[in-house]
Amino acid sequence: MGKLRTLLAVLVALLISSVSFADEEYKFDISEIEKKPYHIGGYVEFRPAIFWLDNNAALYKLRFFNRDEGKTIEEYNGNLQLEGSYEKGIARVFALVNGNLTYSYQGWSDSLNLFEGTLSLKPSNSLAIDLGKKTQKWGKGYAWNPVAFVDRPKDPEEPDLAREGFWMASADYIKSFNGPLKTLSLTPVILPVYEHINDEFGKINEFNFAGKLYLLLYDTDIDLMFLVGGSKTTRFGLDFSRNITTNFEIHGEFAYINNFKQRTIDEQGNVSESKSDAKSYLLGVRYLTKTDTTFILEYYHNGTGYTKDEIKDFFSFINKSYETYLSSGNQAPLMKAQNVAEGNYSRVNPMKDYLYLRVSQKDPFNLLYWTPALTGILNLNDGSFSFSPELTYTGITNLELRLKGTANVGQTGDEYGEKPGDYRLELRVRYYF
Amino acid sequence: MKKILVFLFALLIAAPAYAVDGTQLLKQIDRNLNPESYELYRKLINVEPNGRKMEYTFFSVKKGLDKLAGVFLAPASEKGRSTLRLGENMWLYIPNVGKPVRITSLQSVIGGVFNNADILSLDYAAEYDVEKVEEKGNEYYLQLKAKTKTVAYDRLNLWADENKKLPVKIECLTEAGMLIKTLYFKEVKDFGGGIVRPSVIETDSPLYKGYKSIMIFAKIQQRDFKDEVFTLTFMPKLESLRK
Repeated sequence: MGKLRTLLAVLVALLISSVSFADEEYKFDISEIEKKPYHIGGYVEFRPAIFWLDNNAALYKLRFFNRDEGKTIEEYNGNLQLEGSYEKGIARVFALVNGNLTYSYQGWSDSLNLFEGTLSLKPSNSLAIDLGKKTQKWGKGYAWNPVAFVDRPKDPEEPDLAREGFWMASADYIKSFNGPLKTLSLTPVILPVYEHINDEFGKINEFNFAGKLYLLLYDTDIDLMFLVGGSKTTRFGLDFSRNITTNFEIHGEFAYINNFKQRTIDEQGNVSESKSDAKSYLLGVRYLTKTDTTFILEYYHNGTGYTKDEIKDFFSFINKSYETYLSSGNQAPLMKAQNVAEGNYSRVNPMKDYLYLRVSQKDPFNLLYWTPALTGILNLNDGSFSFSPELTYTGITNLELRLKGTANVGQTGDEYGEKPGDYRLELRVRYYF
Repeated sequence: MKKILVFLFALLIAAPAYAVDGTQLLKQIDRNLNPESYELYRKLINVEPNGRKMEYTFFSVKKGLDKLAGVFLAPASEKGRSTLRLGENMWLYIPNVGKPVRITSLQSVIGGVFNNADILSLDYAAEYDVEKVEEKGNEYYLQLKAKTKTVAYDRLNLWADENKKLPVKIECLTEAGMLIKTLYFKEVKDFGGGIVRPSVIETDSPLYKGYKSIMIFAKIQQRDFKDEVFTLTFMPKLESLRK
């Protein structure tokens, strides 16, 4: 706790020093724009959160079966994201490191991850080659990206967070034209998977090839992508984005996944595997009103997701396993449930059909730098949903304050009804340097 | 009496020869403001009614009529955030998000009175037709109408210095004639390379009473770029253009 108090004190001191007031003369010193070959920057963040637990939820039983944490748990997170780069000639070295220090009901924990680390060579403005750990971030969807074949999945409740990349070699070749086709770019990717290198990507001791073709055609962004190799099954994808009017944008994604393997568990605990070709797709719109209100609405069909009955069976098995644990102390069925959940049922939004709506208002009532927002994710298969109001303030240079609450609403057997917590309240204080 | 009548008649015939060609004047104003292709550093300052201010440093590049790109250099929270305009398409790239999203010219990526149309502005002659031009004292007064519905401001009233052919004031209006904001061009400065133009643009708006935004120009110079710089794929690398 002492470490976190110190971190908070540093943040307050930085906050006070960031506030600046207008002089009569506005200055622009030429030394401010002097280019340096190196850059170091990032942010430090303090993020306390409180969770209200649902002791009757299946996922609560799975996580807390052998401890009694009461009705609420608190978590205190300190994060440091550091990035640095050095440029010489056509070469540039870049690194992005993420460090975390957490105090929770499990005590202290810490982690330090290299999110990205690349050597880039840019022999011309048309060609760049990258070697190292990198994210590609394919897809036009805001909350979900079924076509992000070479990225880790993102959390739709925090889609703007930086994510850890994979080790890869990639290139960008760009060509511009006059006429309806204004831009074409090619991005080939080589992604090896071995022990300790990308082993979370899929099957190890395999080489994988991926690629993306981007077109700006008739004022529409279009991407075609693919992934082949041994670590995951072959998949193809397409996305697009276009402005229908200046303030109304439409976007979509489509992914075809060949021979997707899915593990399911029935309520008796029998595990089975099935393979099928899966089709995932997303369609979304973004609309900006004259009063600066932004609406983002997306429909997502997850072809690799579970049906309502399959999810119900999983939760039933957890409940039965919990009863077994209570009566006999036997943890094995619960351990089996945890094992099957990993990478399958524990995926973010593991079912088939979802709707996402985010409404944000910039500078409400002409209060500059305030942005309230509401985000809802509705599971169309079982009717359960999450609802997150938030308020962000960015009126102090380099400081971002955000207060966010989340409510998970649903019945027994529903995705959001069986989450370990019903409510969450979180404050995020982030200082950039 | 006859002589007076002849003199007046001659003036009447001669007057059209001296009438100002509004479109040519507007094009000259554009070229006096900046070359067709250039690089530019600007500081954008938002001032609140209580005097508190937020500053942003922005590097931008332009080519031809409709290619514009820029990247924020400061403050740290905005560094690396870039914008691209290609014809009527506009995108914003945020480093953490890692991919560009489409935006509109009416939005503002930084808040305050300036919006994307002000920060990534094309030549006035590219977006507006001249409906009327008058000489008023030692200034030209032009009434401009947007060529398409996609332009941020439907109408502009532009006052320009008659000798320097540089804007002094621009009112930005809706189709109905409602004032959205006013731009004041101040402190003419020689930037070298034949570029002599206002180095400060101040803006206020009846929609943001008490707030003011200021744009300060530094180091504007003619520079040619390949078309590939103005593409979605190049957005994360825009800072590499700086010398």
